[in-house]
Amino acid sequence: MGNQNPTRRKFLKTAGAAFAVPYVIDSSVLGAQDATEPSERIVMGGIGIGNMGRGDQGAFLGRGDVQYVAVSDVRKGAREGAKNKVDSKYGNKDCQAYNDFRELLARDDIDAVHVATPDHWHSIMVINACRSGKDVYCQKPETRTLREGTLMVEAARRYGRVVSGGSQRVRQDYNGIVNKCWGGELGEIKSINVNVGPLSKDCNLPAEEVPEDIDWDLWLGPAPWAPYNGKRCSGNFSTRGGSWRSYIDYSGGGMTDWGAHHFGGATFAVDVRELQPEEVIFNDDEGKQHLEFKYPNGISITHNKPNVGNLHVEGTPGEKRDPKPEPVYKGTGGIYGDFIHCVKTREKPFRDIQLAVNTMAVPLLGIITYGLQRSVKWDSAAQQFVGDEEANRFLDRARREPWQL
Amino acid sequence: MLDKAFETLKTYDWGQDRNLLNPIDEAIVATHGDDAKRKELEDKLAAVLKTDVTYDAKQFVCRKLMVIGTASSVPTLAELLADEKLSHMARYALERIPCEEANKALLDAMGKTEGELKVGMISSLGVRSDAASVAPLAALLGDSDSSVAGAAAVALGVIGSSEAGKALADAKPSAIVSDASLACAESLLADGKKLEALTTYKRILKSKPPKHVKVAATRGMLACAKKK
Repeated sequence: MGNQNPTRRKFLKTAGAAFAVPYVIDSSVLGAQDATEPSERIVMGGIGIGNMGRGDQGAFLGRGDVQYVAVSDVRKGAREGAKNKVDSKYGNKDCQAYNDFRELLARDDIDAVHVATPDHWHSIMVINACRSGKDVYCQKPETRTLREGTLMVEAARRYGRVVSGGSQRVRQDYNGIVNKCWGGELGEIKSINVNVGPLSKDCNLPAEEVPEDIDWDLWLGPAPWAPYNGKRCSGNFSTRGGSWRSYIDYSGGGMTDWGAHHFGGATFAVDVRELQPEEVIFNDDEGKQHLEFKYPNGISITHNKPNVGNLHVEGTPGEKRDPKPEPVYKGTGGIYGDFIHCVKTREKPFRDIQLAVNTMAVPLLGIITYGLQRSVKWDSAAQQFVGDEEANRFLDRARREPWQL
Repeated sequence: MLDKAFETLKTYDWGQDRNLLNPIDEAIVATHGDDAKRKELEDKLAAVLKTDVTYDAKQFVCRKLMVIGTASSVPTLAELLADEKLSHMARYALERIPCEEANKALLDAMGKTEGELKVGMISSLGVRSDAASVAPLAALLGDSDSSVAGAAAVALGVIGSSEAGKALADAKPSAIVSDASLACAESLLADGKKLEALTTYKRILKSKPPKHVKVAATRGMLACAKKK
């Protein structure tokens, strides 16, 4: 059922590499974060200006090589606050504010967007942004289902778009272990452990009156209809019931929310970002459930392995290896600067969408494995579970009309 | 415990403790590999859909039938496809049930619904990518409802077959048709059908699309010219 079309993905992968058709950017613009002529600035808009969106907006708005022109949010207060921030910066009233992100994406003058909506919207926005000719910086977790990831990469490659995932922590919080692995100090890497959770769950919160401030139908978007409840849509960082991050229809819970960072750090440290696991082993040790993700190159990532610390690496420290050059951010200004640099040069960013999708495949496969309570095998080329019709039902979920990928 | 959970379903509504239904989730896991017990559980769940329980309870059932539903549940789910409130959740289950009967139910409902509900059927048929859906979807490319026509184009792009590509060739040019056509061309090229792919890319360029689409089509043409 369904056509994951592995041959089409393979074509996009090779054609993109061989036939890059870059925009021509004047070299004086490269690296000129502070003093770029207005006509040379990257014109940007932001979609979803909540807790993380405000931070992203601040980072892009603060750059001299970005001209920020539009915001979109389904909450009037957030939308107006985001617009006011831009207007204050530029000393005018020019920033446009949209309830519906499609109006922002329809603008021909916008080069790039940043997306920080709840996770269940990410794929639709990234794909539609690519279809509209925009480059995208998308907050983590970039995907909510495995099928979404495939389609996001396809769209990015089809249109030659720069699409960056948004975990700033991968190159920031985990430097110590990354340096040790890439520096050869830990010898041959066998495995790395990630401790993160919980998984999201069904939401059955009671109905509350819908505030006038929010377009509830558009907030839900492709997710199943449910009555408004403040905790259901709150953007606070709770994964234990206090926000959308807690609930299956919008998020994978801590497994994907913090998991995007931790698994991002782990896949980077042990250098498996170009790969996806081929098997997920389910373990239940007297009620302590944990997983082992086995990679084709022999390396494993474990999840919640008992008595093992987060990002703990098993290697052969007595047998040091030659160091490998670590991938780093391009440009200046962390992950944001990396994205903007790549928009100018058409290079792939540090957390290119394929690498983000590969990283997110780990917790997404994990969530399915925990749900099934048994081990599974994964064919990353076909993007299907091997001989497992039941598991394959979880590759995606039907979207509420009229939303479609 | 399981019987108690089904009893709870009779009055289940927003605000009630979701954990009361956990025995049903546990039964789904426990019946993996036991076809008879699975069937019993499936039938029991499907039967709830025919009773006068709340929307919330029916939504729960559809989520479970997404996991364990078979052809046996399709008729009951199909009855909900034209219901404005329940149509999506019926598709939530049907879209993921791998059987011919689900395709037929969605096709049938596509022919009987309008507007957003019709778009929903089209979307699910695209995801399911059954070859028999191509002709009915192609017939909607010229629909007077632009959301229906657009959804049909997207669905044909998802299917990505040679037949889907041919159908799109006759559609009125638009951004959505171009994107779907590009998707089909990629599939054709990946299958080694260079001439068909090239024809598609040329057609896209002839429609004078926006720059980024032109670039995408040009890249595709260059790939067609590439020797192995």
